[in-house]
Amino acid sequence: MAKTIVPFGPQHPVLPEPLQLKLVMEDEKIVEAIPAIGYVHRGLEKLTELKEFTQNVFVVERICGICSFQHAMAYCQGIESIMNIQVPDRGRYLRVIWAELHRIHSHLLWLGLLADAFGFESLFMQVWRDREKIMDIMEETAGSRVIISANTIGGTRRDISKEMLSKIVGVVDEIKADLNRVESVFFNDYTVKQRLVGVGVLSKDKAYELGAVGPMARASGIKQDLRMTGYAAYGELDFEPVVETDGDCYARTLVRLKEVYQSIDLVKQAVAKIPEGETFAPCKGNPDGETISRVEQPRGEVLYYIRANGTKNLERLRVRTPTFANIPTLLHMLPGSQLADVPVIILTIDPCISCTER
Amino acid sequence: MIENLIEISKDELLGEVQKAKYEGYRFVTASCADTGTGIIDVTYHFDKDLALRNYRIKVGKEDEISSISGIYFCAVLVENEMKELFGLNIANIAIDYGGHMLLADVDFNAPLTRSQIVIEQRGGK
Repeated sequence: MAKTIVPFGPQHPVLPEPLQLKLVMEDEKIVEAIPAIGYVHRGLEKLTELKEFTQNVFVVERICGICSFQHAMAYCQGIESIMNIQVPDRGRYLRVIWAELHRIHSHLLWLGLLADAFGFESLFMQVWRDREKIMDIMEETAGSRVIISANTIGGTRRDISKEMLSKIVGVVDEIKADLNRVESVFFNDYTVKQRLVGVGVLSKDKAYELGAVGPMARASGIKQDLRMTGYAAYGELDFEPVVETDGDCYARTLVRLKEVYQSIDLVKQAVAKIPEGETFAPCKGNPDGETISRVEQPRGEVLYYIRANGTKNLERLRVRTPTFANIPTLLHMLPGSQLADVPVIILTIDPCISCTER
Repeated sequence: MIENLIEISKDELLGEVQKAKYEGYRFVTASCADTGTGIIDVTYHFDKDLALRNYRIKVGKEDEISSISGIYFCAVLVENEMKELFGLNIANIAIDYGGHMLLADVDFNAPLTRSQIVIEQRGGK
């Protein structure tokens, strides 16, 4: 049968950011997929060598809006490890609260985009309405909706009052109640299951071999979540990763939906246990040495490699983002699929091109 | 200080990476750092049970190193990135973008190295 190459992207309704896949097709079936990136590469890693290490907190936040807090957190944890800075307990708990709020709004954003991708507009609107409540909390606690700049080297530059913490618990409870009403659509709706079950299957072995991270790996049965290492205050909270075993688009949806509930629980645990005290420890001098810092972002593991030489400028800052690790899985999942399933399969890796094109 | 950092020669790279795969390690990524002395430190990061193992090789700017994408296919993107952004000469990458994954003809060569900017652009322009 004759083969046709269909360029999917870089501009496509399902892709908010530019990514291209060259799809080699036989009729409607994909036989090969080759990714093309680099449309919007910004060279931020080079920029971090030119800025002072304290300014880089604001640079790395701009790698990605959706997981900006975790980018800054990974960077700050790396510098703190080089400079032996002990973050005060309250700062560690505040980091968990903001990080989990970011995970909730990232997953809700994704669930809405997924519903939109398969044409379920009312579901998309229901989910995004709840996401707005988190964005309002961000604004109220940090003065900005997306890039909140709450992290600093040594802890957090802002505190959250007792009244606000109570309000946050109330809001996440509201979101939980709202999600309880729509979850049955994701879990049981005929149309949703037709579009997701058995589509884009990634086995456990293949996911591990291809270096999948985050919900991609966990939906294929790999119990891998960096929060298990106990960074920030995670070691003092009850936490067990959400794992599914089917490895298809439906399993990835279930993992993210269940992780919203898990994040709500983690926020409530952190609010209940947060101690009084300072939110940051002062940072004196310049970093000298190298380290690796890893954090679990909504899309999976992010790795920061930092090399410093005792001056204000870093010698090297390298960032491996989760989408960069998950793109190779597409090369395995897409061959054998139908063209109509491509948007949904691509979406279930939760692609973040601004992360990839840092 | 990086824990579990093992310095190896570039000739030992494939053997050690094969061993890591046999032992059940996941390939995380590789990082380059230009030392400013004509040597680039390339560190390969592997993970098993949330603990990292790191192999480091020192590569001269004229040296050729082997691709590990024959062992870990998922290394293709990062190897193309290292090839373009640091000018590394990596042989036999499973999908080689020929220097055009991130860079266009008009971009400078190896923009993340410490070398001074030379007014010479790709594509002979």
